[in-house]
Amino acid sequence: MSITGLKKRIVPKLLIKHRQMGRSVRPVLVTTQGYDKVVEIGDAVSQAKIYQAQMADELVVLNIDGTPIGDDPVMLGLIERLAAETFMPLAVGGGVRTIDDFHQLLETGADKVSINSQAVESPLLITEAARRFGAQCVVVSIDFRIDEGGVPRVHTGGARKRTDIDAVEFARRVADLGAGEILLTDADRDGRGEGLNYDVCARIADSVSIPVILSGGCGRAEHFIEGFKLGHAEAVSAGTFFAFRDQNPIQARAHVRNAGIPIRMET
Amino acid sequence: MSAGTHRVVGLVDYKAGNVQSIENSFSHVGAEVVRVKTADDIARCTHVVLPGVGAFGFCAEKLAATSLAPALAAGALARQRPLLAICVGMQLLADGSDESPGVAGLGWVGGQVKRFAGGPGVRVPHVGWNTVRFAHGWGDFPAGSSADFYFDHSFAYGVPRLGRAVGLCQHGQEFSAVIQRDNITAVQFHPEKSQTAGLRMIEGFLRQ
Repeated sequence: MSITGLKKRIVPKLLIKHRQMGRSVRPVLVTTQGYDKVVEIGDAVSQAKIYQAQMADELVVLNIDGTPIGDDPVMLGLIERLAAETFMPLAVGGGVRTIDDFHQLLETGADKVSINSQAVESPLLITEAARRFGAQCVVVSIDFRIDEGGVPRVHTGGARKRTDIDAVEFARRVADLGAGEILLTDADRDGRGEGLNYDVCARIADSVSIPVILSGGCGRAEHFIEGFKLGHAEAVSAGTFFAFRDQNPIQARAHVRNAGIPIRMET
Repeated sequence: MSAGTHRVVGLVDYKAGNVQSIENSFSHVGAEVVRVKTADDIARCTHVVLPGVGAFGFCAEKLAATSLAPALAAGALARQRPLLAICVGMQLLADGSDESPGVAGLGWVGGQVKRFAGGPGVRVPHVGWNTVRFAHGWGDFPAGSSADFYFDHSFAYGVPRLGRAVGLCQHGQEFSAVIQRDNITAVQFHPEKSQTAGLRMIEGFLRQ
């Protein structure tokens, strides 16, 4: 018998932008390429319900405008609707700056909160949030790009701002500070469908004891398998892959299962 | 739930985590949900749910501040009113937790909550879907059956001092995923986040 019955997770990612429609501002679901080229897809709640029907294991919802999310009625309204209309775990991030933002999101219906730029700028927020809400709901989202010397460098502000921080060292540090999970994204691979950066993921997963969710680059079902087998990821997240292609979490799940990777059974 | 049976579910609202999702899942299967803050509120309910997210000590302190424990105990232990305790709500039924040494739990199920030991291939927190094996039948889950539920926690129950472990789960060690004592059912996973299997659990609780 296996030492854990825990299953690997397939996690669709919903990227949200604000759009002015007449007199109101509404959340729209988009995909990006390299965190840059933005394409609108439609309604996040409808898409989430489809993913639920397709047995997605969890959803990641990111406010890519980075507006202060704890005071953002558009994002909070969306989270409330997602929590009301689906019965699956929600990890929410983008524009999280304070303990109050954590509180607000958790009260609204998020199960986990992810921080990105703020983990670099004020890392003690990780410790404080873990102490207050438990490590299990503190996700640190790390965006990186590989530099000329082959080093994965942490980027903040929607991967626009380069730092000198090595992503592997940073992952170790946030784990020590009390993070419960890492959401790792190779920003250069984002939306290209050419495969995940399982090398960097394996280096991180092997040096921390918390789970790592890998994203950025899924274009074929085999890429999920690579993320699990070669990247040692606990979960693989994809946005563009599920949004456009004739691909869905059911098909990805079947491929993963056929590769002998433990994945959730049908109920 | 059979038609015509009106269920009033009292959701203990003590400001310790996301109760909205729990409320939504009970409403979805047709129950009326009220947020309870006083013993009188509890008296109106047919069922009670004790949620909990966050550190053990924080939740214990928040619950103590409500003075609801005696009314919850009277309802659940005197076999009048089924109680479902979820996640840290479950852990609060222990004598204590290694997460917050010196803080007393309610002791209704007893035992000590401990951190997962972890190790190679066993990451902590325990996040995601894991298989629960029902050692005893519960609701419409027969003895010997299994189902996958969503977990998100770092601490867990070994063996209860009172009552029995109905559902067991493996994560580097065996731990109690479902404990039952009299009218109390305690679950370590999140039924409100466990899609079909979770809704089956909620419906089973409402049939009690």
